[in-house]
Amino acid sequence: MDPQLTSIIVPSEELVQIEECLGRLVEDTSSDYALLLDKSGQVISSKGDADRQDITALGALIAGVFASSREVAKLLRERDFRNTFQQGVRENIFIALIEEQWILCIIFNKGTHIGLVKVLTKKATDELATVLERVRQQHKARDEVLGSSFRTSMEDTIDLLFRD
Amino acid sequence: MALINVAAREIHCKIVYYGPGMCGKTTNLQYIHSQVPKEIKGDLLSIATETERTLFFDFLPLDLGKVRGFQTRFHLYTVPGQVLYERTRVAVLNGADGVVFVADSHKKKMQENVNSLRELAQNVTRQNKKFSEFPIVVQYNKRDLPEDVLVSVQTMDHYLGVTRMNWPRIEAVATTGAGVFETLRAISRAVISKL
Repeated sequence: MDPQLTSIIVPSEELVQIEECLGRLVEDTSSDYALLLDKSGQVISSKGDADRQDITALGALIAGVFASSREVAKLLRERDFRNTFQQGVRENIFIALIEEQWILCIIFNKGTHIGLVKVLTKKATDELATVLERVRQQHKARDEVLGSSFRTSMEDTIDLLFRD
Repeated sequence: MALINVAAREIHCKIVYYGPGMCGKTTNLQYIHSQVPKEIKGDLLSIATETERTLFFDFLPLDLGKVRGFQTRFHLYTVPGQVLYERTRVAVLNGADGVVFVADSHKKKMQENVNSLRELAQNVTRQNKKFSEFPIVVQYNKRDLPEDVLVSVQTMDHYLGVTRMNWPRIEAVATTGAGVFETLRAISRAVISKL
């Protein structure tokens, strides 16, 4: 991938596949929630409890946890912690890395066995890795997506909203 | 790296406020949070120590609404400035689209400013990005300091290499809000130009 690439574009077709994959994962594991994040903490897609209001903050914190664990791995001269597991009294969180770019997060309660989550998450990450590969190959289409007038409109919006 | 979700018609950008300890990064975010219309801001999330020093990051999501049919979101983060949190800064910087480097205008802080900027350059480069092309805006904060401890803008330009790098540079007093939105506008424009 181009190291100077500044944007990653998720086309409609790939998003449908991502949503189907997350939906299956939630259903097959009886989890509460599945979340696909970019490593910068931005939410790409989510499935589960539709009433969740805190999803943006959740994304930022989970990506932070994962980025932090990656630095711990470096200090331990470990290549990477591909997965992390957080166990609570009611809720558990299992997080898996996809090709250094995306983070898959499953939130589940004590009714679901961690072993099942691990196995099905592995399957889902493999599937999502192929979607990611296709997304990466399509990045050149960004000018078609945004259009030439987008930046001008964006600058006007910035000036309007971020004024003293 | 900005995320453009075509199906959901959303664009997300990540902006990180970087700089030495106590330079005013969190104050910038607090001021922005206090001033922007409530319909565009989310909650300001702070992971801080008991003494209110940033431990991990502050996080402020801003939803700019629809621009040409795209729901546009800017996520603002700060890093912890203290030297011991170097690895944490690396973690927060991950995937950033642009950086506001907040420099302290106190003469005793010049070396810390230089060290922090040097570290930023290393961390950006480690993410396989060219530092010279990475969107950066420099804010000279605390311009209300007494004259005997205040470093001139020209001296700061020289020490931080601002002119050489051709970075936008803004004078600010984050506690009163002076220069805070000018900084935010400048980095937002720089990030958008790279989308």
